[in-house]
Amino acid sequence: MNVELVLFGAFALLTLLSAGLVILARSPINSAMALVSTFFFLAGIYVLLWAHTVAVVQVLVYAGAIMVLFLFVIMLLNLGESAHRGKPTLSRILGGASAVGLLGVLGITLSRVPAQPANLGPQAQATFGTMASIGQSIFTQWLLPFEAVSLLLLVAMVGAVVVAKSRI
Amino acid sequence: MSRILTMLVAMATIVVALAGGVATAYLVGGFVEAHGFTGASRLTNIVFLMLVFVMIIATLLTLAERKWSAFMQDRVGPNRARLGIPGLKNRSLGGIPHIITDVLKMLTKEDFIPGMANRFLFNLGPLLAFAPVFALFAVVPAGPTVTVLGQKVDMVVATPDFGILYLFAIASLAVYGTALAGWSSNNKFALLGGVRASAQMISYEVALGLSLVGLFLTFSSVQLPALVGDVANALSPATGQGQYLWSTQVFGLDIGIPAWGFIIQPLGFIGFFVASFAETKRAPFDVPEGESEIIGYFVEYSGMKFGMFMISEFVEVVVLAGVTTALFFGGHNLPIFGEALANNAFMQEHGWVYGTILGTVFWLKVLFLIWVQLVIRWTFPRFRYDQIQSLGWKILLPVGLVNVFVTAALVLWDPSLRALGVVGILEIAVFVALTLSKKENSEAGAHGDAHGHDHGHAAPAGAHADPHPSAAGAH
Repeated sequence: MNVELVLFGAFALLTLLSAGLVILARSPINSAMALVSTFFFLAGIYVLLWAHTVAVVQVLVYAGAIMVLFLFVIMLLNLGESAHRGKPTLSRILGGASAVGLLGVLGITLSRVPAQPANLGPQAQATFGTMASIGQSIFTQWLLPFEAVSLLLLVAMVGAVVVAKSRI
Repeated sequence: MSRILTMLVAMATIVVALAGGVATAYLVGGFVEAHGFTGASRLTNIVFLMLVFVMIIATLLTLAERKWSAFMQDRVGPNRARLGIPGLKNRSLGGIPHIITDVLKMLTKEDFIPGMANRFLFNLGPLLAFAPVFALFAVVPAGPTVTVLGQKVDMVVATPDFGILYLFAIASLAVYGTALAGWSSNNKFALLGGVRASAQMISYEVALGLSLVGLFLTFSSVQLPALVGDVANALSPATGQGQYLWSTQVFGLDIGIPAWGFIIQPLGFIGFFVASFAETKRAPFDVPEGESEIIGYFVEYSGMKFGMFMISEFVEVVVLAGVTTALFFGGHNLPIFGEALANNAFMQEHGWVYGTILGTVFWLKVLFLIWVQLVIRWTFPRFRYDQIQSLGWKILLPVGLVNVFVTAALVLWDPSLRALGVVGILEIAVFVALTLSKKENSEAGAHGDAHGHDHGHAAPAGAHADPHPSAAGAH
């Protein structure tokens, strides 16, 4: 029983708890805050996986930017607690079915993951997860996918502006 | 004459206090490294940097802000609270007893929670506002790495690989405190304040991140100790902002123009300073608080919970000054004579003396930048909401983008950074010229505001004529 295992257990449990709270909380603002803490605990798990940069980017982007926007919209619309609760509508049935399907796919995938982690060798471990190595691989090996994704974001942004502001 | 003498004595006291604090921090760090375990000095750095330096400066700032606002408004400032101790002759002591009365008031005031408020989030709000701000200083290096008692001691709490991303990530969390406080109070004014705060902070985060990209390109690092750098010594060449752009030797002493951030990255500096000033939500960016219109997101808070919001604002001021010093004002490096000092035999022998001198230099720069922030806060009227948004999105963002491309091209063309220095000095000259021409306009009576060059044309600020509430005591 080493420290990493204990920490992983704690983070995993807290992630599951707060993720459960996201879907069970009645007030949207509580849901949003539970999602923020989910991202935090996930970031902790990333750190345990030696992915420090991914962890800090997770906090920066998801907890620090995207969830703030969620909170902003919830506060702006002043959403209260959901009134009709537990009524099985078509969208809820479809959503539940797809969630169960996703769980199945994830289960099958996880069962095929090798039990022993891949051995990267001492040289790769020294630089693994650092900003320099991530930058290196993004801007050399994965340049085209990276640029394609950024283009996608640009398209989405322009689209949002066009939809929201038709008369500019 | 006696006034000047008093000021000199006060300044000397500050310098001595800073030097004493830094020397203690270095010696204790060296002691625990030698007699404790490796890395123990990082723990004492938490105590010294984050608890002692930042918190004491932030606490004294509550007084300094009142004194400075009084000075700028031609008032005396706080001098009514006096200690009835016989030896003190019932003096006002520069207003220091006001801090004691403030603390007593906050600790003993009734902790009121509105009936319809969400109790959990209402109590969580002040904590979420204070904790991230307090944690920010962890990555700021406040002094050089020196050898004390045979052990290497540095003046920084943490040096993560992702460096300044930590700063962005934690700073972006501070908005939760204000947003939740505004929402959970169940008060329309508080909600307005919370919504305004989150909109403002989201908008300026983009400009904030972009303004630093040029600096990363210049020094090809995101870690603050690497960005601050060190001067050249017998073992290694100068790195980061410790290097000179142009230098010469005069009587064995080195003088020149250092490669400080604000010289080679003036656009980045202005973008960063304005954007992070907006993140602190202080005037002129104080629409989330706006005492004269909506009071703010903390309208329902009382006692120490309000005190947490207030002290977190002052901690933000200190942290912003510290980060700006490290990024754009050479951190702990001296502008000139740095190499002569570093290569002095006595300094190399007694590392803690060297560390103390440079650490004091760092904190003096921090105090200077805190003073700049106080001056800005009490000079400008509050911007309108649309002015704030257009400054962030239409001015700072494009300027930041242009800065990235120009910096990248110049660094590629001339890796010695001299081309960047020439362009930077030209940019500073243009700023100065623009500011001076603006001053002549306002003296001619066009409109009596001394708006900065970079947002002077947004809208005439004379349009909103509400005088800023001068009662800092009510704040």
